[in-house]
Amino acid sequence: MTNLIRDEFRAGLARGDLLLQRCNDCGKLNMYPRHACPHCQSPSLGWQKSAGLGVLHSFTVLRAGAPEGFESDLPYALGVIKLEEGVQLLGRLLPDPDGDWHSYRCDDRMQFKAASPESAAHRPCAWFARLAV
Amino acid sequence: MDARPLNVDANSPNDPVFIGVGELPSGRYPERNFIGDLTHVGLRALADARMVPRDVDTILLIPCLHSAVDQADMIFSRMAEELGLIGHLKSSFMVHSGGSTSDNAVRVASGLIASGHARTVLVLHCERWGSADLAEMVTMLSKNGIPNEWEGPTGLQFNAIGALITRRYMHATQSSAEDMASFCVTLRKWAQLNPNAMYRGKPLTVEKVLASKLVAEPLHALECPMLADGAVAFVMTSAEHAKARGIDVTVRVAGSGGCVSHYSVGQEPDLAALGWATAAKRAYEQSGWGPQDAQIAQIYDTYAAVTTIAVEGLGFCAPGDGARWFASGVADPGGKLPCNTNGGMLSAGHTGVGGGTALLVEGVRQLLGRAEPERQVAGVRRCIVGGTGGSYMDAQVLLLERCATGRKS
Repeated sequence: MTNLIRDEFRAGLARGDLLLQRCNDCGKLNMYPRHACPHCQSPSLGWQKSAGLGVLHSFTVLRAGAPEGFESDLPYALGVIKLEEGVQLLGRLLPDPDGDWHSYRCDDRMQFKAASPESAAHRPCAWFARLAV
Repeated sequence: MDARPLNVDANSPNDPVFIGVGELPSGRYPERNFIGDLTHVGLRALADARMVPRDVDTILLIPCLHSAVDQADMIFSRMAEELGLIGHLKSSFMVHSGGSTSDNAVRVASGLIASGHARTVLVLHCERWGSADLAEMVTMLSKNGIPNEWEGPTGLQFNAIGALITRRYMHATQSSAEDMASFCVTLRKWAQLNPNAMYRGKPLTVEKVLASKLVAEPLHALECPMLADGAVAFVMTSAEHAKARGIDVTVRVAGSGGCVSHYSVGQEPDLAALGWATAAKRAYEQSGWGPQDAQIAQIYDTYAAVTTIAVEGLGFCAPGDGARWFASGVADPGGKLPCNTNGGMLSAGHTGVGGGTALLVEGVRQLLGRAEPERQVAGVRRCIVGGTGGSYMDAQVLLLERCATGRKS
């Protein structure tokens, strides 16, 4: 099914950018991207690049029961990130150097990490890691 | 949004009331048949209401999730044929909002009855999750309630959604792993008293829960619901019609409240709060009730945090104390405010969309005074029912009260 909004968002990820939808009329940001602005109903929507900084609202490490096609990714971590721009999204979390996620805590400061074009094509989602302090 | 009182009260002839419930045991029953279970559970509810199928003019179907083909049978009026109602039945259709369907089915049935579009409504559910192919169900559940463009590529699934809520809840409230696990133990105590529960005869301890393997941190395997076969049904009619049939004990809906707080779990502003406080406020404003006015509660419970968040929003305890409130034993058998007296979804079995329906039916059963003696809570006049669906997208509250011959007893 044609989905230009999804394709443009994913093209951003493939370039290493986290794109946020911005309404050309009211200027508000929409995440996830919408087909009409949920704030003012305008159909005129564009994109802006996120600074990629935010806070980890919650996260989990999935160790069993992966959906079809994700079996070989186990274990993997998912997190809800509240971005400084005021919108939020679900993304994948990069592991600590030891391959696990023991250092992660709720409310940690987070940073978007650009994925390789191959990774972005395989898993078109945003990746985040703890912001180095 | 202000909550106006309902257009009917306990003295209205068209006040919608529950008059009967039916249930089949939950668990793994490969020998049972989907249409057979729907038929038998419907007949049980009708017998409980002292009715026969021809007393029904409208059937509402609560969907099954194990098979699109079986769901289509429900949608396209198969039960009219199975129950001998061809040419008699006015309408048969499905209501669906995932786990909160039972709450919305009550709203739909109530509206039909109060407005005169229906006189007697039979609500039917059957699920075959316990006997279905597990891998197929996991895949299906990884697509339902998850936006495929935005969250599908992350590998999100149902336990991970429960885990995201649990992690935030534990962080925000400083609840311990033991506090969370104790909720599962409370439910298991109730299941020992319910002959329909999947885990009757299988007691549980906090230690056992925490010793089970981590599946979606911080959730252990025994903190996740087990997919089950099951079937439930209930009958609603008008107070006037119930009275005309000599039915002297009914259950009415004093009010309801709801809040759709997100669709995608990644868009919920506060995973430790969800929509419960808003839904509760709307329900209490509509009915004039408060949290102190009910003697029991039946609240959707796929994961402990879902329910501990709900009891905080409903005002049963101080904000942040939900898990410790359950750990204190207040909701246990013999406690001050018994909750999920059928054992809930975590111990009676997760029968898909019917898990919430089974909790609703248990609330009605308790109010009618028809639970098994060892499980029946004495002096129950009011029950708070809570439901939620999908990625816990909504919080739904129904306030139910026992009536005698159209008047509050």
